[in-house]
Amino acid sequence: MRRSIVPRLILALTAACIVIPAALLAVWSFTARWPWPNLLPERYTPRTVSELLFGSAKLSRLLGSSIALAAAVAVLGTAIAVLTARAEALYRFRGKELIRLGSWLPLLIPGTVFAIGFHMVLLRLGLADTVAGVLLVHLVAALPYCITIMADVTRAVGFGLEEQAAVLGTGPFRAFFYAALPSLLPGVLSSMSMAFTLSYSQYFTTLIVGGGRVKTLALVLVPYIQGGDRALASVYAAAFTGSALAVFGIFEWIIYKVQRGGT
Amino acid sequence: MKRLLTTLLALAMALSLAACGGGNGGGPAGNSLDLSSAAWEDIVEEARGTTVTFYGWGGDENRNNWLNGDVAEYVKERYDITLDVVGMNIEDILAKLSSEKEAAAQGSIDMIWINGENFYSAKENGLLYGPFTHQLPNMDKYIDPEDPETLADFSMPIEGYEAPYAKAQMVLYLDTAVTPNAPASAGELMTFCQENPGKVTYPALPDFTGSAFIRNIVYELCGWEQFQDMEADYDTVKAAVQPAIDYLVELNPYLWNQGSTFPESSNTVDTMFADGELVMSMSYGPFSVSTGIDQGLYTETTQTFVFDKGTIGNTNYMGIAFNSPNKAGAMVVIDAILSAELQLSQYATLRELPVVDFDRLSAGEQEAFGQVDLGQGVLTQEDLLRHRLPEMPAKLVPVIEEIWLNEVVGK
Amino acid sequence: MKKPDFTLILLLLPLALVTALVLAACGAVLLQSLGHVPAFGLAGLTLGYYRDVFHDPDFLGALAVSLSIALKSAILAAALGTALCAALVARRKTGGPMVYLVRFPILAPHAVAALFAILLLSQTGLLARLACALGLISDFPQFPQLLYTPGYEGAILAYLWKEIPFVAYFSLALMSSVSATLGEAAQNLGASPLRAFFTVTLPLSLPAISKAFLIIFIFAFGGYELPMLLGATLPKALPVQAHLTYMSPELRDRPYAMAMYGTILILSAAMARLYALLTRRLMKKLGGTV
Repeated sequence: MRRSIVPRLILALTAACIVIPAALLAVWSFTARWPWPNLLPERYTPRTVSELLFGSAKLSRLLGSSIALAAAVAVLGTAIAVLTARAEALYRFRGKELIRLGSWLPLLIPGTVFAIGFHMVLLRLGLADTVAGVLLVHLVAALPYCITIMADVTRAVGFGLEEQAAVLGTGPFRAFFYAALPSLLPGVLSSMSMAFTLSYSQYFTTLIVGGGRVKTLALVLVPYIQGGDRALASVYAAAFTGSALAVFGIFEWIIYKVQRGGT
Repeated sequence: MKRLLTTLLALAMALSLAACGGGNGGGPAGNSLDLSSAAWEDIVEEARGTTVTFYGWGGDENRNNWLNGDVAEYVKERYDITLDVVGMNIEDILAKLSSEKEAAAQGSIDMIWINGENFYSAKENGLLYGPFTHQLPNMDKYIDPEDPETLADFSMPIEGYEAPYAKAQMVLYLDTAVTPNAPASAGELMTFCQENPGKVTYPALPDFTGSAFIRNIVYELCGWEQFQDMEADYDTVKAAVQPAIDYLVELNPYLWNQGSTFPESSNTVDTMFADGELVMSMSYGPFSVSTGIDQGLYTETTQTFVFDKGTIGNTNYMGIAFNSPNKAGAMVVIDAILSAELQLSQYATLRELPVVDFDRLSAGEQEAFGQVDLGQGVLTQEDLLRHRLPEMPAKLVPVIEEIWLNEVVGK
Repeated sequence: MKKPDFTLILLLLPLALVTALVLAACGAVLLQSLGHVPAFGLAGLTLGYYRDVFHDPDFLGALAVSLSIALKSAILAAALGTALCAALVARRKTGGPMVYLVRFPILAPHAVAALFAILLLSQTGLLARLACALGLISDFPQFPQLLYTPGYEGAILAYLWKEIPFVAYFSLALMSSVSATLGEAAQNLGASPLRAFFTVTLPLSLPAISKAFLIIFIFAFGGYELPMLLGATLPKALPVQAHLTYMSPELRDRPYAMAMYGTILILSAAMARLYALLTRRLMKKLGGTV
């Protein structure tokens, strides 16, 4: 049974490589001092947790704005990706190459340039330092991923079911929602969670385009990491990843319920 | 396909050029008051009920809490001003302002925490509003107008474009339980490193603290007077700092990683010191050791020291953005931070050297400052000020950083 | 496939609008790299900044470092990520707790990945402490220096920690659907699982994997944080060099920084073109033999 050992081993190793740092994050969240060569911290502190919960950064407001922003990016990004993927898979037209390049373009731009270039453009549109501007720049950052995922899935699923529905006299929108969308759903879900992740972890773009007016969790987290306060950085990093995973959990639970209720 | 790319690029440029041409943004609208000639009472009245944004480095939890706490309450109670503190590195602030200047757009930054090379550049490029400090009552009441640090920032004349915020001074520290004897000069530092091979280093330039450390070595080995009016020319500066380069190259073999690489920031040096990987660290915050001991980061035996010939000190300042939407509000908040009350609170909670002139304080205020408990492991304010050396002209700083990179790293 | 019609325009409109913005942003940067920064009194267009930058040995060194980081990270992440993805599919762990775990590194910001690298791999990190506790070393200088090396091993390891899960997650949807249908059909026809994987599932999953490869390459090529936090003082990685120039208080140096960013931009675009050409050729070849 060699074949079932290898995958098991790979998964176990992967799990270890992820769980150990995550556990380290939890321990560091309460650590004041951990000198060489101790295997465990020498002194613990409640400072970081009280700073996280009761500090001047207002955790609940940060969570609210970060999640709302990322959710909006997830929905909009996926919607645009569904449209683009349909156009690519359904039509034969000149300049398809251009569309593909266009959808890839944001990936080619280094983060700093991306933020600075966008800031210059949004300034002229009067969208700098606004939520709309930040939404737009996050959307652009997420779109390449959304489009790639949706294009692959759309091509794989094809249009057979939808065409059958159309032959049976269903209108195009109904045909899309009832025939195509359910089979696109896995792609839609992974596109949305990818977009959510992208938006949630944007730092430099939010900072420059939002001008500090739009406040997210990443905006508070990153300076603490750069500032070398490992305990505070850990507690914020834990809150950051924990809250995002919790959102995924709730989201998928709802989808699961809806799917079960629907059928 | 090459044609495709070229077309795209051309299109992109055309779009941007068009955007540049049309850029005239919204100029400051509804400015009913001519600020530069207004009376202070009118400025305060104009500022009442507004929001002021304060942009600066956001990595210090204590400072964030102090600004959002004491300062925010002070200006809310007295002037009904809401203070919005935004964490942003000074380089990013300047990048943002220069883009806004190019687009002639109104900004969202009111106050800026700034000094040194960045002040030089911001003032040169017209990113700051001013002069405004002559209008602040507390500037007149508490600040010594003859103090060189009131007149110039890294030798750049201030001319009313920024008001002092707090004083910083380069200090070094070690754990007396590990290494009991602190080096008192560059020569003794060499011996110290030889006795603790691989356990001393400094932050890679252009880190603020690393850069100040190198300037400190330069001062000690080459004297500081000659730099005050030197040309910012690579070869001139290199000739002047040659003894320091020789010293640093000689020091390299005893440093962490044999001086082939240096930690990228002073924060990393601090954490390595806290872990026991290094036996010495350094900071621009003269009382940072006592805060570190309080938070349990450092052992109680950690002790601050300076070289006998002194260490570089500078002041950091508050400026106003050229396109600030609320200049009156910014002036009122800056004035508030210059008050004896907030300077005292900054001294007591953040342990930063105050900028107020002691001779100008009332007897009661002097007593209150004297009673502040600075905690363990630090030098007294008098001791620090006695060992204080002036900063180098701002335009020499990048030159020295370049020389260090070319002549010292890995040599 | 359909001929273009009005619906097509509607479908593509949102992307077109967004792309116009992106192009304008790129254009703004390229303009500055050609020396057009009116706010600092720089006008007129010149290629001089690019010329200067390409004559600077530090820049060329940085370019080489960044290419090497990007290539090593992308090759290793694609190979190991495919293995992880295959393992997930083989063990039917395409949902549930394991996938949650895999998402954690993708979600963690790069700065957090750097924090982990330092806490685990530095000379006083957890591994070194374990080695010391086990008596393998007596003091930390004996532990091999993995971080801050001129070969950028630390940055590459941190990229791998983040990007292996990314490759797996990115290819999971495609590979699991291919495996569930065609892969199992091959097995039903008598192919061994390993053979079915290499002859059917892997080639058909290649579009996703190779795209992930390209994404990682470009990201690691232009990424600033990890080489900054885990790299050596010299040679610097290209984005670090560009960022330091950009941050320089001398605002008139801005076009040099932008020329470096422009170089990253143009090389990344060239990589994407190369990728498109290669995959098209590959697809044709596969289409011819299958």
